[in-house]
Amino acid sequence: MLRSPHRKAVLALTAATLILAGCAEEQGGGDEGTPEETGPVVIGAVLDITGAGASLGVPERDTLELLAEQLNADGGIDGREVELIIEDNASTEDGAARAINKLITEDQVDIILGASRTGPSLAMRPVAESAEIPMISLAANQAIVDGSEWVFKTAQNDSVVIENIVADAADKGYSTLGLARDASGFGEGVEELFNSIGEEFGISVIATESFAPDATDFTAQMVNIRDAGADANIIWGIPPAAGLAQVAYRQLGIEVPVYQSHGIGNQVFLDTAGAAADGLVAPLGRLVVRDQLPDDDPQKEVITAFADAYEAEYGAGPSTFAGHAYDGFQLAVQALAEAGTDGQAMREYLEGVTDYVGVSGTFTMSADDHSGLTAEDLVLVTVENGEFTLIES
Amino acid sequence: MSDFFQLVVAGLSQGAIYALIAMGFAAIFSVSEIINLAQGEFAAMAGLVALSAAGAGLPLPVAMLVALVSVAIVAVVMQRLTIAPVKKMTTLTSIILTLGVSTALKALMLLIYGPEARGLPALPGSNFVVAGVSVRAQDLWILGITLVVAGAVVFFYDRTVLGKALRACAEQPVAARLVGISPRKATTLAFLIAGLLGAVAGLLASPISLTQWDSGLTLGLKGFVAATLGGLVSIRAAVLGGLLLGVLEALVAGYIDSGFRDAVAFVVLIVVLVARPGGVFSRQAQARV
Repeated sequence: MLRSPHRKAVLALTAATLILAGCAEEQGGGDEGTPEETGPVVIGAVLDITGAGASLGVPERDTLELLAEQLNADGGIDGREVELIIEDNASTEDGAARAINKLITEDQVDIILGASRTGPSLAMRPVAESAEIPMISLAANQAIVDGSEWVFKTAQNDSVVIENIVADAADKGYSTLGLARDASGFGEGVEELFNSIGEEFGISVIATESFAPDATDFTAQMVNIRDAGADANIIWGIPPAAGLAQVAYRQLGIEVPVYQSHGIGNQVFLDTAGAAADGLVAPLGRLVVRDQLPDDDPQKEVITAFADAYEAEYGAGPSTFAGHAYDGFQLAVQALAEAGTDGQAMREYLEGVTDYVGVSGTFTMSADDHSGLTAEDLVLVTVENGEFTLIES
Repeated sequence: MSDFFQLVVAGLSQGAIYALIAMGFAAIFSVSEIINLAQGEFAAMAGLVALSAAGAGLPLPVAMLVALVSVAIVAVVMQRLTIAPVKKMTTLTSIILTLGVSTALKALMLLIYGPEARGLPALPGSNFVVAGVSVRAQDLWILGITLVVAGAVVFFYDRTVLGKALRACAEQPVAARLVGISPRKATTLAFLIAGLLGAVAGLLASPISLTQWDSGLTLGLKGFVAATLGGLVSIRAAVLGGLLLGVLEALVAGYIDSGFRDAVAFVVLIVVLVARPGGVFSRQAQARV
């Protein structure tokens, strides 16, 4: 009774079902076997390419693509080609969880990089832990790696950033701080860290305001910060929000000094904040002040080589976020080269990384410390005439 | 007290942007009972086109003009391609159709302009402080231009033959057709006006709140809520609704919690739709434009 178009449709559907069933079987079988020792090595990345984290995720994507291309041109890892699969989580937690699930089950990646921001990274962590696949986050909040077994990270911990700010505030004799922080994962727990690290210096946070990572109007937060009358204030966010907050801070005539976090290390921040950025103080990775580093700085060579390659490819200098992606990629490649594609072996290799000189700092990991960076890996930077400038200590 | 006025100034400036978007909603709905969910995209597109035109070396006023014209063309083409061919247009159909167009426009903008947010340079003038309240020159530009544009739109609908013809379509579609007014042409014209209104909003907001491929979503939602305050049919009420919503948001963010800012619009929407579906400013749901 079936007319021919229908019959064709039924046939096609049946064929499709069979093929899908075949795939599923293959996947199920693959899970039990030992990792393959031939064919391409697969690195998966989940980045905040669209949405509030775009100014982080885009340069990170560009960096990974550049590095993968260079690596393959040089023969890959032990002759095996590196296949890079990048997923966009649209700066959302659920997008990140979906993306990492896809990378693990469909693409069967060997190691995972990302996400760009704390919230999505936290959403990925339990998936990586239960799948027992090494994951290297590019985000800041220490909670991403606290007590983790399979998760590592390359951005400096928020706690080491806060150590730098508190030390500077203590030097200058400030005792009260006002805080305007990102309302997402990046800003979670920041107030508590300031209070606990500041305790021995008698420094505490007296007012906290929060803003959505995609907020555009900061009048309300800054009015309240102004009224709190702290000795100094901190804006804790990522561009462009951190830049708009900086503009509102100056526009409302708040005259006490302002600190920013290490989340601002890119051109988008400088463009958004404009003249309002002059005079702020922020602990940042050495990358943004690479021209001003002394020649004996141990990171100078790595940073300069990366920055030159990036600039040659994309026509603009890399941001600190690009640096986090560089370190994540290099650590992943080292782990793959030294330990092969066995998850457990890679995990153990990463835990044993000692004195790896990267762009974001010099990494020394351990079983208890999956971040590997200290307060020494940041330098205090200010902005003068629209450029990051190293503060001589 | 200066805090209060500071928040009000920020709220008025933001509210004026909502008002422009809201007028766009009302301009179309009052003529054709179409709800155009791509209204916010007009704003985002204007900002992005102006940014790339300015980036290509055009002076700012020319770049803005290019953006206005491009968005007006997009709005008219959108109406010709997706609205005009539909024989029996209902409000529900229009919502589904324009949601599709809005998604397509967003995807297009993401492909062409990339995901990063950028801002146009502010219009000339320097910021100043009055009685402890800091005012940006851009705030004055936004408020001034919004009021002039609103005046022009109201004048057009109330005092010109063409505007009266549009109102006739809105109030008596059959009678309007009998006296020779084409509802189809009227709808095209309404989309042109809405496109221009959206574009002005996008160009004015860009220096303060930046533009990216998806900034139209929030603007569109807030503008829609502002328009419902006037029952979606009154230009004057849309302007009032926008300003009111902006100020309310700023005050809630300042005095309660900034986390509630975006909830304000939706609470307002629910209250209005339950209590006064015809709009809070109009005595009767029938009064249009």
